[in-house]
Amino acid sequence: MNIERTLTRRALLTAAAPAALLSGCRQPAPVKPASVSIVRAAAYDQRLYDTVRRLLAEQRPEVRGRHVVLKPNLVEFEPSSSINTNPLLVHAVYEGFLALGAARVSIAEGPGHRRNTLDLADAAGYFHIVPKFEDVFVDLNLDEVTRVRPQRQLSRMEKLYLPNTALGADLLVSIPKMKTHHWVVATLSMKNLFGTVPSGIYGWPKNVLHWSGIEECIADLHAAFPRKFAVVDGIVGMEGNGPIQGVPKFAGVLVAGRDLRAVDATCCRIMRIDPLRIHYLQLASESDAQLLESNIHQAGESIESVATKFRLIPEFERAHLETV
Amino acid sequence: MQCLSGSGESARPNPISVDRLVHCQNRDGGWPFIRGASWSEPTAYAILALQMAGETDACRRGVQWLRRIQRPDGSWPPHASIDESTWVTALVAWLTPEIIGEQAHRRAIRWLTDVKGEESSLVFRAREWLLGNPRQPEMEFPGWPWLPGTAAWVSPTAVSILALQKDHARQPDSRLQERIDEGRKFLLLHMCREGGWNHGSVRALGYESRPYPETTGLALASLRGVRSPKIDSAVAVARNFLKDCRSADACNWLRLGLLTHGQLPEGYCPPPELQFRTTVETSLDLLATAAITKRTALFA
Repeated sequence: MNIERTLTRRALLTAAAPAALLSGCRQPAPVKPASVSIVRAAAYDQRLYDTVRRLLAEQRPEVRGRHVVLKPNLVEFEPSSSINTNPLLVHAVYEGFLALGAARVSIAEGPGHRRNTLDLADAAGYFHIVPKFEDVFVDLNLDEVTRVRPQRQLSRMEKLYLPNTALGADLLVSIPKMKTHHWVVATLSMKNLFGTVPSGIYGWPKNVLHWSGIEECIADLHAAFPRKFAVVDGIVGMEGNGPIQGVPKFAGVLVAGRDLRAVDATCCRIMRIDPLRIHYLQLASESDAQLLESNIHQAGESIESVATKFRLIPEFERAHLETV
Repeated sequence: MQCLSGSGESARPNPISVDRLVHCQNRDGGWPFIRGASWSEPTAYAILALQMAGETDACRRGVQWLRRIQRPDGSWPPHASIDESTWVTALVAWLTPEIIGEQAHRRAIRWLTDVKGEESSLVFRAREWLLGNPRQPEMEFPGWPWLPGTAAWVSPTAVSILALQKDHARQPDSRLQERIDEGRKFLLLHMCREGGWNHGSVRALGYESRPYPETTGLALASLRGVRSPKIDSAVAVARNFLKDCRSADACNWLRLGLLTHGQLPEGYCPPPELQFRTTVETSLDLLATAAITKRTALFA
């Protein structure tokens, strides 16, 4: 709807200029480097199971005896497009966490446009790929909720109801698609947390997040879930007018880590987008130093070896949000 | 879902569906979507369906649960523990005053009549004017939001129109008629270019958005008696969706929407592989089937 575009675009443009200035002024403070793994993955095939296992072994998330909740990105019924997180990857991550000793692994999502989540999951191939999918799946739009006050409220939302499945997870694993976004430039593991906001309360779309400030809400949601992990589906992402109407873009990578800000900053660099120009990344970081490449320990492939330019919408291209 | 082979839909409520609804009622009287806590939306749908099937005891307990959670402003929250007034008020208002109670119904209709998408508010319009932003044509008429303080969208607008329309038929009121007319204009302005509706975003950055089957059916159901080439194109889109429908929710609303305009294909039978997983899907299937076979107008 145009109302959300108007507000958001304005918010973005007004925020971008001072943010760009501030990015030059903020003094890098010493930070504990986050670890982010990059692995090549050429296709959605059986090799993914081994690739994901190696990826998780490298990051060593402590999940023995714990409940892990996987949060993919499900948006629309478009089987031939690259909108949704590929179900084979989600299943590989599911198996990977079980192999690490997780007591239970659930898959949970709350799509923002379509009401019938199970129909959407079916159309996206989840029933076909994940055995007994309905037994392990939770529709976050209709889950039991708890009222939460953002720890460091940046948005205009003073309170927010969030699903107990996500809040109670010992580890919430964001598994987004690597996509460009026509309002916030890139949608990755942090923006994917929008799917935890229950549409059963806030509606389809979750318009309250737009009125409260999209980027501020991303940062608030990031702070609301303390135990997180991310595996980004960058095998085939989306460029151009994402997150829905863009075109598939092959990048051939998976990116994973415990610090979602560092994971998203790394993905941005792979996509040839300057993470220091992404407002929600700045909002969620104590300082820009957290987002600097020098403060992120890259394991596996180097960024340079896998980087591929994701085409942005023209007004972002004009704003020179990309790296060279 | 029910169907008699070759002769369209059966005239009797499917006893399996009715039984399923009765058995998944929670102890507190409400219904869950699938399992778990009671929510207002499935409870309103289940009461409508079971009332039609003559299950008075289950309905009575459902109504009591709904009455208990009505908010002081006359609206309903999505479920008992949420302190938000929301669009589900329109669904509860589909229940007649005889069922939900005269006073509770009147307060719900008053709340619905007063609520508009935030983009229609004076504050928002003044701000846009001060910022020099041109008035968007699709914002000319107010629709309904999912919850107050946010923009209007297709689904809450359509269900609100249906509620007001039902009340207006019972007790004509110029204020209700005005909101119904505005809501219908809102829907016509938010139709996708190819016909039909999605959640309410017609285009993004110059790209046309595609319609969804379930919202197309719902919006058509709320546009009873409206004649326009736009309706014709929406009906064509809905009929195409129906041919290849794999979603129970979509199939229910497409049947109801097409029936409203006398355009449901003769002898149409939902595909046997459709899965009615939720209370809402099962209830709406019963209601759609009754509307088709008994020619009872669900929302009149």
